[in-house]
Amino acid sequence: MNHEQAERLLSARIDGERLATRQTVALEHHLEACAECRAFERGAYRLREAARFEVAPAVPDLVDEVMAAVRTDAKPSGLRVVRPARLPRRRLLPRLAPVAAALLIGVLIGSLVVGGPWQRSQTGSALAAAEIAGGISAAAANLDAYQATFSIHELNMSTDVPERDLTMRVWFHAPERFRLDVVDHTDYPARTTPTDLRLVVDGSRWFASGPAPCPTAECPQRESVVRNRLPFSTDAPIPTDLVLPISTLADADRLTVLGRGTVLGRPAVQVEVPFERARPLFPFLSIAGGSIGGDWRPFFPNDRVRIWLDERNWFPLKWAVYPATGVERDAWALRFGLPDEPSLRPVFTVTALDVSTRPPSAGVFRIPASASAQDQGARSVGLTDVARDVGFEPVAPNTVGGLERYRVVLPTDDTARSLIAYADGLAFVNLGETRTWAGTAPFGPVGVQAEEVPLAGGGVAYYEPSTDEHSRRVSIHAAGTDLYLESNLSRPALLAAAAALPVQGLPMPDAWRIRRVGGATVERVPLQAARSSVPFPIELPRTLPDGFGLASVELVDAGYGDGVTLYFRDLDADAGIGTIRLHLEPAQALPPATSASQSSMDVGGAHGRYTPDRSELEWVRSGVYHSLDAPGLELPELVAIAASIGSGG
Amino acid sequence: MPESRAGRPGLRLVAGRGDRQAGRVNDPDPRTLVRAREGDLGAFEDLVRQFQGDVWRFAYHFTRDRALADDVTQEAFLRAFRFLRTFRGDSKFSSWLFRITRNCAMDQIRARNLYVERVTQIAGSPADPQARVELHAALDAVTPEHREPFLLVEVFGLSYQEAADVLGVRVGTIKSRMHRARRAMMDALALEEEAR
Repeated sequence: MNHEQAERLLSARIDGERLATRQTVALEHHLEACAECRAFERGAYRLREAARFEVAPAVPDLVDEVMAAVRTDAKPSGLRVVRPARLPRRRLLPRLAPVAAALLIGVLIGSLVVGGPWQRSQTGSALAAAEIAGGISAAAANLDAYQATFSIHELNMSTDVPERDLTMRVWFHAPERFRLDVVDHTDYPARTTPTDLRLVVDGSRWFASGPAPCPTAECPQRESVVRNRLPFSTDAPIPTDLVLPISTLADADRLTVLGRGTVLGRPAVQVEVPFERARPLFPFLSIAGGSIGGDWRPFFPNDRVRIWLDERNWFPLKWAVYPATGVERDAWALRFGLPDEPSLRPVFTVTALDVSTRPPSAGVFRIPASASAQDQGARSVGLTDVARDVGFEPVAPNTVGGLERYRVVLPTDDTARSLIAYADGLAFVNLGETRTWAGTAPFGPVGVQAEEVPLAGGGVAYYEPSTDEHSRRVSIHAAGTDLYLESNLSRPALLAAAAALPVQGLPMPDAWRIRRVGGATVERVPLQAARSSVPFPIELPRTLPDGFGLASVELVDAGYGDGVTLYFRDLDADAGIGTIRLHLEPAQALPPATSASQSSMDVGGAHGRYTPDRSELEWVRSGVYHSLDAPGLELPELVAIAASIGSGG
Repeated sequence: MPESRAGRPGLRLVAGRGDRQAGRVNDPDPRTLVRAREGDLGAFEDLVRQFQGDVWRFAYHFTRDRALADDVTQEAFLRAFRFLRTFRGDSKFSSWLFRITRNCAMDQIRARNLYVERVTQIAGSPADPQARVELHAALDAVTPEHREPFLLVEVFGLSYQEAADVLGVRVGTIKSRMHRARRAMMDALALEEEAR
């Protein structure tokens, strides 16, 4: 037996492999005479000890991350939506067949952020999503005061600032006092304006200060002041999701419950939403319409935001942004010059250091005097003054949606109207009314394509989902009066509040429903009426992003045959996809090219084309021209929707 | 929960001389496996909980990169979830899972072009005489094809047959590679001692 043979047998024996008796005897004989092989045996055991006694690397707990990925994998959600953050928001410029296009340009306005994949939790161990959404909503109406301190840790703001640490303090006193301070503790390698921010709201007054966005490291400080602010104005909003994520987590159907645990010593439940859904939790990124905000790292719309909520009161205790995966995200990261960001490592974390419901002192909300305040023109009056000033007794119940009447203002614009704010804790409803509405669309920030919703007890209202410009809102056209409600209540709660008003909502009058645009007539009609008016079948897409439904239908008569336009919207919160529009009209071929950047493609076997700058897919099938567009959808999503129409697009 | 992500370093189990079973990775309760195979996410979560440490450690030993080990671990469990129905029990579940983990690690390394870099590093530099953890220095001195069976057998306590299942080679190959791994590592350690 030579050394190598002996070492092989020793190695196997050390590992517990059984040797034949003959091999064992021969090995023992060899070992007696061979110091080198005895050294091998000792060395092998030494290696074993090193391996077994090695200081083990700290093993992370990845169960939550793994199971979140598994759940996503187990139940594919609706369409995945990808749109780069921080890019200019596109306004939808409709382009249908040339004539119809001319008619409809300007009719639609995109307002839009981006949504993403959402699933219900599939685990029985976690709290139900509905329980969380309902709990937050109930807590919002009962919260009087709050103050908290958070730490913010940010990665990869830029190549020379790979990490930043900031502190954020938040104070709130119901219904409309709020303050947010962000202090930047970063030791910058070069002269840089720190991201120190302040936002103070005290009822009708609003103040913000901080560095203005600029292309250099040293940015000018900017202040923004608003007086005579409209109640709960979305032009000068209060970022109350920092206190309770009432907007981010309002819709139980769209949050993923990941599990329960303990955070900061408190029982907590963890939920996940895409970044674009969670934007209200990051108000410091952009204040005063983006004119204040300092520098922050970019976020991808589908980056995952995990939020740990205190189970006892639903306060957010911690939230962290985890990079999304996929080629789209990689391409996006390349554009921003970001380094490789592993999907399991948070790139931005906000952690509560202390949270209290102790009322802040009044001095906290003191606003510096400023000569250059923007006047929003909301004059506060008593309820009894309204009739004298605007000429009518407004609909003014003591409570709306369970919230108490809090403030009455008379906006100064061309329409004599009243605005009554109702509030409780963080929840609010604004009730506007006029008796002289002469507009060509429903009163308030509600468009003619709004969803018609039957109200409990009779009548109809017109509903718009929340956007980054407005909260959820409902317009009611009644005999002799027009009203609207705007609120951060959930859709069902808002509709219930509308139904409880002492008015009967009427369908849109013809003056709004029918309009002449250019040489054509556009008429809003029920789906059934449209089906009986056009000489082709109207088939609805079977695939739409989660939460989307048919909002309205219009007939378009351009004098050469009726076309029809279907509008699909997210029925709860418009988080960036915008309105999905499908226009159909008789045609045998695509109209001539309408953009320099169009590409031909096969759409379910039909000849089609894609226009990226309009996010529009067009094709002709069975003598019907189809045009499908949405500001927030990319080609794969459009193709998926097209494929679900009729026999495959 | 992520608060515990940092984990805690600690001594690995103490093994007596000849006690190869000490580092052994136990297979799961067969009932858990059956439920997980039927799509029970709770049961699969139990599997993740039971094996995440071993999978992560294996991935880490393989990649020598914590972030990469995180990614490999998640991907390995994802693949395991997708293909659990195809697992017929021909081999041990742990062997099957390690095989998936190894494939994931190889994919990540290929995708990030790390393999060439690591091989170059190994070929170009003998064990660092200043290395404080001699095992790591020794492991760096052997090629991946020898390091893998060593880790599976010595660190994770797999038998030669189980290691052969994971690596897709014959038992004889494992036997041979274990011997060569030990010899190469001992030579590296001897060099290290001479350099001190």
